[in-house]
Amino acid sequence: MKRYLFLVVALLLAALYLFPLYWMYATALRPGGDLFRYPPEIWPSHPHFEITRVFLTYAVGRYVWNSLVVASGTTLITMVLGTGAAYVLARSRHPMVSVTLFVILVLQVLPPSLMVTPIFVAFNQLGLLEWPRLAVVLATSAKTLPFYIILCRATFAQVPGELEQAALVDGNSRVGAFFHIMLPLARNGILVVSTLVFLQSFGEYVYSRSLIASTDLQTATVGLSTFLGANAQDWAGLMTYASIYVTPILVIFILLQRHIVSGLTAGALK
Amino acid sequence: MKMLAFKLGLGVIVAVVSIHNASADPVTLQVWAQDEISHYTQVLTRDFEAKNPDIRIDLKLINFADVENDAIRAAATNTAPDVSQIDNPQVATFASHNLLLDLGPFVANSKVIHREDFYPGPLTNATWQDRLYAIPRGANTIALFYNADMFRAAGLNPDAPPKTWDELYTVARKLTDPAAHRYGLAYSAVATEEGTFQFLPFAQTAGGDFDHLDNPGTVRALEFWQKLLDEKIVSNDVLVWGQVDLMASFRAQNVAMAISGPWELPTLDREAKFDWRVAMLPVEKEGSPRASALGEHAYGVFKSSKHPQEAFRLLEYFISQQGRNWNEFGILPSVKTVTTVNPKWPAAYAIFAEEVQYAHARGPSPMWPQISKPIQVAIQTALTHRADAKTALAEAQRHVDQVLKK
Amino acid sequence: MRFLKAWRDSDAFNLVLVVPAVGYLLAFSAFPLIYNVVMSFQQVDMFDVGTLIRPLRGFGNYVDVFARSEAGTVLWNTVLFVVMSIVFQLSIGFALALFFQLDFPGAKWLRGLFLAGWVMPALVVGAIWRWIFAGDFGVLNYALRSLHLIGGPVFWTSDPSIALWSIIIANVWLGIPFNMILLSVGLAGIPDDVYEAAALDGAGMIERFRSITLPLMAPTLGAVISLGVIFTLQQFDLVAALTQGGPAGASNIAQYWSWQMSFETYEISDGAVVATLMMTVVAAVALIYVRAIRHEQRA
Repeated sequence: MKRYLFLVVALLLAALYLFPLYWMYATALRPGGDLFRYPPEIWPSHPHFEITRVFLTYAVGRYVWNSLVVASGTTLITMVLGTGAAYVLARSRHPMVSVTLFVILVLQVLPPSLMVTPIFVAFNQLGLLEWPRLAVVLATSAKTLPFYIILCRATFAQVPGELEQAALVDGNSRVGAFFHIMLPLARNGILVVSTLVFLQSFGEYVYSRSLIASTDLQTATVGLSTFLGANAQDWAGLMTYASIYVTPILVIFILLQRHIVSGLTAGALK
Repeated sequence: MKMLAFKLGLGVIVAVVSIHNASADPVTLQVWAQDEISHYTQVLTRDFEAKNPDIRIDLKLINFADVENDAIRAAATNTAPDVSQIDNPQVATFASHNLLLDLGPFVANSKVIHREDFYPGPLTNATWQDRLYAIPRGANTIALFYNADMFRAAGLNPDAPPKTWDELYTVARKLTDPAAHRYGLAYSAVATEEGTFQFLPFAQTAGGDFDHLDNPGTVRALEFWQKLLDEKIVSNDVLVWGQVDLMASFRAQNVAMAISGPWELPTLDREAKFDWRVAMLPVEKEGSPRASALGEHAYGVFKSSKHPQEAFRLLEYFISQQGRNWNEFGILPSVKTVTTVNPKWPAAYAIFAEEVQYAHARGPSPMWPQISKPIQVAIQTALTHRADAKTALAEAQRHVDQVLKK
Repeated sequence: MRFLKAWRDSDAFNLVLVVPAVGYLLAFSAFPLIYNVVMSFQQVDMFDVGTLIRPLRGFGNYVDVFARSEAGTVLWNTVLFVVMSIVFQLSIGFALALFFQLDFPGAKWLRGLFLAGWVMPALVVGAIWRWIFAGDFGVLNYALRSLHLIGGPVFWTSDPSIALWSIIIANVWLGIPFNMILLSVGLAGIPDDVYEAAALDGAGMIERFRSITLPLMAPTLGAVISLGVIFTLQQFDLVAALTQGGPAGASNIAQYWSWQMSFETYEISDGAVVATLMMTVVAAVALIYVRAIRHEQRA
């Protein structure tokens, strides 16, 4: 019985938390003016589908594809560079570890809107703007990498040291222990953090807008902003567009997170 | 070499390409704009491309808040586009830094653009130190939108909208109905350029201006805004509402009168299901000078452009299409020689066409953003009663003086 | 062969793993930071952002920034914004993580829904919170009025005494998924038998939380808090969408102030000063984090 009580509480909490998400869908379905009425219309009474118009007017597919390219590239670079570093920073007792962690944290302090001018200047000098999506991937990775390292470090730190010791005693090399023992045990944390990195870079806006000059290579977040002009704002269209690309991602990650968060680490330890 | 002859008639252009090498690669122009999709720049550049196969347009749409920053950064790193849409008070900023091409020589040889055809307001904003650095695509200004149905319901005559501040106050007060969640009036006091844009006409009709902020007229204007807010005739949220937001409330009939510009007309026409009308912006007292704000954007060609001829042809095309400005985009023409045939919303057109004659240009000053900011701060400080209007404006004047002295 | 093994087992293996990551960060992040610090000591015109050679002003810009009348408000607002955001994000996120550890139908699935805040584009999040908070037609006021909790409208974003709190509420909403999901991973990493042993020893629920959960979660908590501070200092879109720092600067915080100076009024040096000061704050947080880690490693 208690289990069902918990379920009810959980449903209520989720409903409360998800209200803004619901409002995105509701706004997508409402004719423009209805949004500003009082009392607010919680349930759109005259649903109004903009999907066809949005698909016809805006290059939704191309924008989303570009976003996927940027997000995948960023996640890949971040994982490749970050995982090993996180492991060492969790395990090594070398005095340089503190310095390194300190530097990593400090390097990601400024918001992209303040970083973008120097990055633009430097990338322009280096000729990186010739490959605009790569430029965005490189800049975004510098943003996500510290985040990834700090969080994965915590995951590695939670894996009991005895397991690694045991593997070394069994004749594994450090490399072997890293790949065969540590990585599988930290898999959950790595996947969760990578997921967050993917989602974050999928939503990246400032670098894409500034570093990508060509509209054909622009990402979905930038496409989204073209619904808002100096003198007119098409909220129903914007929210429809947002719903089109947020929904599949949300569903995929809800399904994925069930597997990656659940107690695999705990099981493996026994 | 390409020679073009243009013929203007009802806004239709006929281009005769005398020598045109069909096998040559088309020239690509980078164009940055801050319109939303399917608006002026996008529509006209597409038409232009269709008529000029030798030129391709790579159009990038950027948010209003970002386009100037992006253009400045691009100019500083030699990656500027060929053409950019610039909000009219910002032309001076770009021109004073020597980033824009002097369009004077092009205009001198042009059969389409003639300097003397422009209305003085838009021309002032496009000019810096007597040189023409941008082509204003149109003009706009603000006036008073009102809901005639609400006038009737409140026993007011919808054919006699308020003409003075006193009348505006009385009418707005009558139209305010907290039980129906309705405010009498809305202006924008947001801490962006829009707040300055809406406030200055009130200051100007009372004898003040952006460089006369401590003038008693400016103080009276701010005190008038304050009174409307204090008495809840105007929503407190006007402190965060841009013009688009307050017009959304007007369309939803939460607000009976709202101050905004003609760009709202297409949306209003589509969505408002009531009898809406437009009136001249009220003046302080009977006999006070009329004043309004001059808005709209211009297009400049960057000095770094490798295709200035082609870029100028695009600007010529924009001007040749001035006849479409009003009906398609809600923009008043910037040239006197164009008359809008069969204007949509004729009553509103008449009001805006008259109002724009009283529109004051902001600046021109290359430091305009630094002049505008203290004004926004003063408006918000007084409206939230962190200081009285006089003190807040005196503080703003001090900042503006510092900027103007530089 | 033996040589190779020795090499692999030594610090060199560590270096191979760490150096590329740190090198990458230095290559791509260090330059923008240095560029900012340099600008904070120079006289910068917006049109010379392409070069580093500009007239020096020394600490003049710093003096200017502190002399501004809004400096005190911004400083206090920033402290309030960061501390409150972290306290609520962390406690709500932790509570939710613990709650979803309970065994009930759909627990894992429902937890995933909380990722929504992380998936929605910033532009959408900002606009939606703006409408929720709208004084006249906003859903929040509608709900509170229907429950008879308020009489008249509350102007969430335009009342100077509330505006900052509205940004904090929206920011807490945004930060919950991050806190909850990472703390969930941490909790899942604590073996059940540890709890079982403690239960056998007769430890109550609160005692188990204090003596087992908290210490075992320390690394995760440290990481989440320090990153939370940094994220909160980077929160920019919400301020832009909700209040633009207003009304009358009442909800302005350091990162937005810096942006306003750099990109609205083009006082780029002063904007760089604020950015540089923010860096020193983060350096302090990083120092605390690093010390905590040393502690953790010794334990």
